[in-house]
Parts: sequence; structure tokens; C-alpha cells
Amino acid sequence: MNAKYCKKCVYPISAVNLNIDDEGICSACKTAEKFEELSDDFWNQRKEKFEEIIQPYLNKNESNYDCLIPVSGGKDSFYQAHLIAKEYGLKPLLMTYHGNNYLPEGDHNRDLMRHAFDADHIVWGPSVDTLKKLNKITFKMMGDMNWQNHCGIKTAPIQIATKFNIPLIIWGETDWDISGMYSPDDFVEFSARVRHEHDLRGYEWYDMLKHGLKEKDMMWAKYPSDEEILEVGVRGIYIGNFFKWDPNKQTKIIMENYDWKPSEKPFERTYRRFSNLDDRYENGIHDLLKFVKFGYGRASDHASKDIRTGYMAREEGVEMVRKYDSVVSSDLYYWLDYVGMKENEFWSIADTFRDPRVWWIDDGKWYKNNIWGGASSYGNVHLDDSGIENFSKKNRKY
Amino acid sequence: MKKNRLIPIVLLKDGWIVQSKNFSQYQNLGNPVATVKRLSEWASDEIIFLDISRGDKYDTKRNDQGYKNRGSFLDIIKDVSDIAFMPITVGGKIRTIKDIEDRLLSGADKICLNSMAIEDISFINQASKEFGSQCIVISIDAKKNLDNYLVYSKGGRHMTNFTPVEFSKIVEDNGAGEILINSIDRDGFGGGYDISLIEKVVESVSIPTIACGGVGEWNHFSEALEKTNVDAVAAANIFHYIDQSVYLAKKYLYESGFNVRKPDLIKI
Amino acid sequence: MSKTKVCILDYGSGNVRSVYNVIRHLQFDVVVTNNTKEIRNSTHVILPGVGAFPSSMKKIESSIPLATLEIEILEKGKPFLGICVGMQVLADSGSEHESCKGLGWIGGSVKKLCADGDGLSLPHIGWNDISITKQSQIFNGLKDYRDFYYVHSYAFDVEDKSHVLAHTEYGSNFTSIVCKDNIYGFQFHPEKSQRAGQLLLNNFIKMYEKE
Repeated sequence: MNAKYCKKCVYPISAVNLNIDDEGICSACKTAEKFEELSDDFWNQRKEKFEEIIQPYLNKNESNYDCLIPVSGGKDSFYQAHLIAKEYGLKPLLMTYHGNNYLPEGDHNRDLMRHAFDADHIVWGPSVDTLKKLNKITFKMMGDMNWQNHCGIKTAPIQIATKFNIPLIIWGETDWDISGMYSPDDFVEFSARVRHEHDLRGYEWYDMLKHGLKEKDMMWAKYPSDEEILEVGVRGIYIGNFFKWDPNKQTKIIMENYDWKPSEKPFERTYRRFSNLDDRYENGIHDLLKFVKFGYGRASDHASKDIRTGYMAREEGVEMVRKYDSVVSSDLYYWLDYVGMKENEFWSIADTFRDPRVWWIDDGKWYKNNIWGGASSYGNVHLDDSGIENFSKKNRKY
Repeated sequence: MKKNRLIPIVLLKDGWIVQSKNFSQYQNLGNPVATVKRLSEWASDEIIFLDISRGDKYDTKRNDQGYKNRGSFLDIIKDVSDIAFMPITVGGKIRTIKDIEDRLLSGADKICLNSMAIEDISFINQASKEFGSQCIVISIDAKKNLDNYLVYSKGGRHMTNFTPVEFSKIVEDNGAGEILINSIDRDGFGGGYDISLIEKVVESVSIPTIACGGVGEWNHFSEALEKTNVDAVAAANIFHYIDQSVYLAKKYLYESGFNVRKPDLIKI
Repeated sequence: MSKTKVCILDYGSGNVRSVYNVIRHLQFDVVVTNNTKEIRNSTHVILPGVGAFPSSMKKIESSIPLATLEIEILEKGKPFLGICVGMQVLADSGSEHESCKGLGWIGGSVKKLCADGDGLSLPHIGWNDISITKQSQIFNGLKDYRDFYYVHSYAFDVEDKSHVLAHTEYGSNFTSIVCKDNIYGFQFHPEKSQRAGQLLLNNFIKMYEKE
């Protein structure tokens, strides 16, 4: 097993949707380079392009919301709302999908939004009973209990936009920036295919029906048809294509101007305190499962991003990976209690998703290569004999 | 009246659908079936599906998705053709009659030859006798060399002594059904087609020509349709950037009075 | 009540899979076979086709039980649809590469398309519309979307013009849909013609559905 890592950041080749070129630089770094190359002049031109794009929507509209902004209450959505409502003086409809995983600071930030901005705010939260069921179902189906969150965030706002006749949706960071899927000149917009294939892993609400849920439990998860979208002319544009995206800078602005709170306690699996307050598991066990599957975690994501924008050196990044990527965070127990599952069952399901390109079994333990060299063990194997055999068969291929 | 076609080109590299910039930078977009399904839902006239993998390994590296991770190109073609209710042209790494046969049996309607056509002109003849010339598309990659254009093979890496016009005539004489003319210089830049290159090729043959390379906006399509007699206009990257892209491109051309099919949406 | 079962004849023609897929998509029972029993038990028969007339005829003669087919189609009146070269072989003869006999189920011969003068390229590849020359239930519901996908250099020159349901313009007019009693032929590929193709296929099958 040749573990390959990007020479510039700390991403492994197994990172989702990534490729590493012949020079050893990953697609995310290559794309970030393109974004970093853009001079102030360029960004000014892009700002103008943004204004050109939104102008026709404002001209046609006297009475309706100027646009819809999907918000979680997090630092990104606060910045988006700040840009649109404060700097551009527009009247957006803020829309939140509430997956019931907010940290208390996240609740505060979310509820603060319509106090901080002259904007209406809709919050759509599915029944907690349904959410608990989905947490378990999708964990077993695809090794991800947070599918409901990815689905809700990328579906509910588009539904609301079509229902309320609001054509313009303003998103933040360019889609799948994390893997370098698109370059600055692509001016990519929100796409149903990316949502379906990557955010939802190819599953939709109707795939949940055979697991005991009904169509009426999944209303929030139904993506509008092409016809409905074309009728209103709904399109989603990314601020990240027009304004230089810098989360550290943005968070500073937010904290200076509003009562926005970062996490009181540090996260166990990453060094950042500003991310994912809307979902306690995003930095916790949802991300732990990423480590279980692909051998890297949130710390790798954050460190790689910070390396690319010049906030961190690669050696420091490697240290972050060493310190945080493999931590089994305590929200695991919170979740087990939430859905009513025992820890043993959790691990025996999680282990079925280990990627044989990354992991191997030795002496009843899981092993993988490390970015700082050598290999280490990361916990016991929780598979039965046939599970181990299946895995070993797949393992031999790599 | 016969319409001009608007054709998305889908590039497959090692199992992933990718964007290509200047034949050298590739960005992973996702799974073949998910992409082709959308192109099919937007009633694309046709798609050209090219395998630009260097090796033989097809692996999306994901086993936790609702889409199968296929390990072979032919399996990928089968999956893709199952959800495409429009013609599919398949190209890339075709070197033998059996390669062609395998692809046609897996669901391809036409096949596309590139390097093999340059290496062995008689193969075109053989293939068109066996399968019919309407089934054989020859893709020609051209780069500007001072004042002239020259044909390149092997993904733009190997220069030949042919000009695109010379080579187009040769392939036509040898039984090709269509020509796909691609500008290497324009690939992925979004600055528009190389109109002069397209014009030269179109005027030199009587078989249909498909233009490719450089589209960044819908009016690049209209420019080619207006300024040349090209039969079809194709593009790769741009159709991946926005939702309902093919529908909107078609709508733009249709409403501008071009001879294209009325835009449509299909339920798959 | 006899349930619809479409039989697609398989003689090594390339587009069998696509025809199968579209019939499944239209939610009809369908099987790909040359088996005499299955042909007899089917309610509709489809002969797909890509490639050249002579080689297709050779393959048809060597792999399809023509005697059974002729009984089912010509005597018993089972609905039959030939697609592209599958339509062309219905003729008495064809002239592609060499002179060759067809099935002779519909009088006429297959000749090369005449497309010069207008500088039109051959093969005729792409989407083209149809002009209906004779009313038929097969056109039920056909409105704005009337383009079908063609890929051919030859066309069926039908003897008896009352057998022509639609023609298409490419240089001159050629027959795009032929029909004699229960025998239909489409020069275009309905399985590759999205909405319009699926509509006509659906009509073809439903027209002959037993109640």
C-alpha cells in the first residue's frame, strides 16, 4: 500500500474527490493556487461581475425578497448575510435547515441573525423522531449519520426559493472547494448533480422508504424538478467566485460587528474554534467516520486550507494531523444515547466502511500509513470472521 | 429539416468524469452515471464519451455511495447507455476491431478513433467496412504551428506532419463517417472556438464535422453556427458548471433563431 | 386478457440493448430472443438494425427463424416494427455495396440518398423532423417535438405510396415511416429519439394491446 500525500498540503490520495498530479500536488492545492494568483484588480473585476449578475434580479423586483441566503448561523452564513444585507443593503430571506444537532453557541448565533440583519428568517426542522431514525438508517447504509444534514441544507432552501418565487440563491464558499473540483474561471453555480452525487452520495429521500420512513416524513428532502426550477429561474451563485474567501478574516469581521460566539470549548478533533457550531457531529463523530473510512479527518481539512492561504506551514499542519485526526471524540456517547445504540454495534458497523486502499489488519488491530512516516495502529478490529475475510479479500487488490 | 446538434463531451479519466484544461490539468467531477443522467434529462442531442485514462484502472475510490464503482470501461459504458435515450459516441484507446465490437455491444452507437487513425489509416477502412462508415467518427486534435495548423496524436503530445485539412480528406477517403475537430490551444480556456480551423476543415470534406475546443459562453456556439457550415457544436467543461446547462444553451440558440431542436426535459 | 410481451429479434445488430432499455423504460414486458416459441408467444415483434443492408440480411437469414416469423407476421397479423436497416430489409431489394434481396414484405427497393446539389453531407446523421403524409394512430399525441435521430446513407423507395406514413426532407424527400397493415418501419432510431421516439414506440405497442 503506497500512501501518497500531497507535497504542499497534508491531504492523502484517499481524500474525497481528490487527485494528485505527476508533480505530487493535489487538485485542491492547484485550484487554490489559481485563486491565490488573482490580484486585487482581478477581485475588483469579479466584484463588478457579481454586481452585474444580481442587478437584473433587483430591477425586476419591487415587492419580493431580493434573494434567499441559506444560513446555518455559522461564521460563513453570517458573512454572507453581512455582505448582502449590510454592504449591499438588500432584503434577503434567510433560510435555515435545522437538523437538531446545534451546539448552544450555534443556537445563539442562528437566532441572532434576524436581530443582527434586517432580514426575515425561516427555520425548517424535521420531526426529531424522523431525524433519529435517519441518523441510524444512513449510518448503517453509508457510514454517515449526518446525511440528513447534508440533504436538508442542500434541499430545503431550494424548495423554499421555488415556493416563494425567489430566483436568486446566494451560497458562500465555492462548491467542493475542498477537492479543487472547480477553478475560479469556471464560475460554477449550484448543481443538482453535485448535490445528489456528492453531498447525498447518490441516495435520495425515496431510498429511505424501505427502512420504515414514509413520504410525508421526507417532505423537506425532496428536490424540486427541473421544470419547477426553470419556471422560477432559480439559480444558486457562490460568493466565493466573486469575493476572496478568507474564513479567518471573515470571522474577525463578524465577531467585531455582531454578538457572534465561537465554541466555548475547543473541539476535540480540530484546532479551529469557529467551524461547524450548527452541527455538533460535523467535527465530531461524522468526521471520525471519515477517518475510519479514508484515514484522514477535519484537522487535515483545516490544516490544508490554512496552508494554502498562508496561515500555516506544512510541518505545523502535519502536527495537527498527528494530534487530532484519530481522536475518538466524546460526542460519540451523546449520539449513541440520542439514537439508542450500543458502542459495540457502532464500531462493528463503522468498520465495514474501512477503505481497503488505506487500512490493513494486523494482530486484530487496524493499521495505516502516517503522513509523518511509518505506520501505526488505530484501534481494534470490530468485525466478525467473515467480515475480516471479506476485508482481506478486498485488501489484496491494493 | 436536419438540425444542427449541440453535443456535450464527457471525459473519463481512471473512472472519474473530469474537466480538462489544456490537455494537462484535470479536476475530478464525479461518477459517470450521475453526470450522463443529467445530460440525458436535459435532452442532449448526443453525447461523446471519451476515455482519456492512461492506465487500465477505473476506480472512483468510493464504496459507500449509491452508485456502483465499476472496475472496467465496458461496464461503465453499459451503465451509461442504459440511461441515455440519445446516441452515444465512445472513444479512447480503440486499437482493434474487437475493441470496436465490444463497445458497440456494450451500448455505444458510434465509436471515435484518434491516435489509431494516425498510426494506421487502413484501420479506418477496415472498421468502416465492418461496421458501416456512419458508425466511425475520427477525432482530430490540432495545434497552431506558426501560421499553419498541425495534427497531433497521443493526447496532444506527438506532432505529425499532417495539416488538419490534409488529414480530414484522407480519413474521408478511407471511410470515416464524421470528423470531430478539436483545437488543443483553445482547450479549457473558454475563449471561443478556433473559427478559422473549423472553417478550413468543414470546407475540405463532405462528411459532417463537429467543432470542439474553447467554449466559454453560449454565444461561442452561435458564432460557429453562424460563421461556418459546421454540422454540430460540442463542448466539455462548460456543461458541468450550471444546472440545466444543456437545456439553457439549447434555449439560447433556439430563441436566437438557430436551426436546433426545441429544448426539452426528459424524465429518466 | 393477454399481457403485452414485446420480442426483440437478435441477429447480432448493435442496438439491441438500447431498444430493450427503452421498452423497459416504457414499462412493457420485453425479451430479446430468436427462439421460435418466444416469437410465437409474444404480442409484438421488433427488428432493430444498424449497419449495411447486405450484411444485415445475411445475419437475419442465418439466425432468425424466418418461416416462423412470416407465419406470425404475414399470416397471423402480429404487429411488427423494423428500425433503420430493420425497416430497409422489408423491401424487395437493396443496392448498398452489392445488389441484394430483402424480405420483400413491402414492395420497393432501397437506394442511396440523393443529397448533392445542396452540398449536404452523407451519411445523413442527426436530428430531422417528419412530415406526416397519412394519418395513423401511431402519431397520437405528437405535437411540438417531432425530431427523430437518423444515421443512414440509404433509404426505402416504396412502390405503393399508400404505404408511406411520413417522409423526411434531406435534399429530396425520403420515406421515414412505412406501414403496410400490421408491418411498420421507422428509418430513424426511436430508441435514441427521446420524447418523440418514445411516444411513437408507446403508440405502436398500445395500438395493438389486446383488451
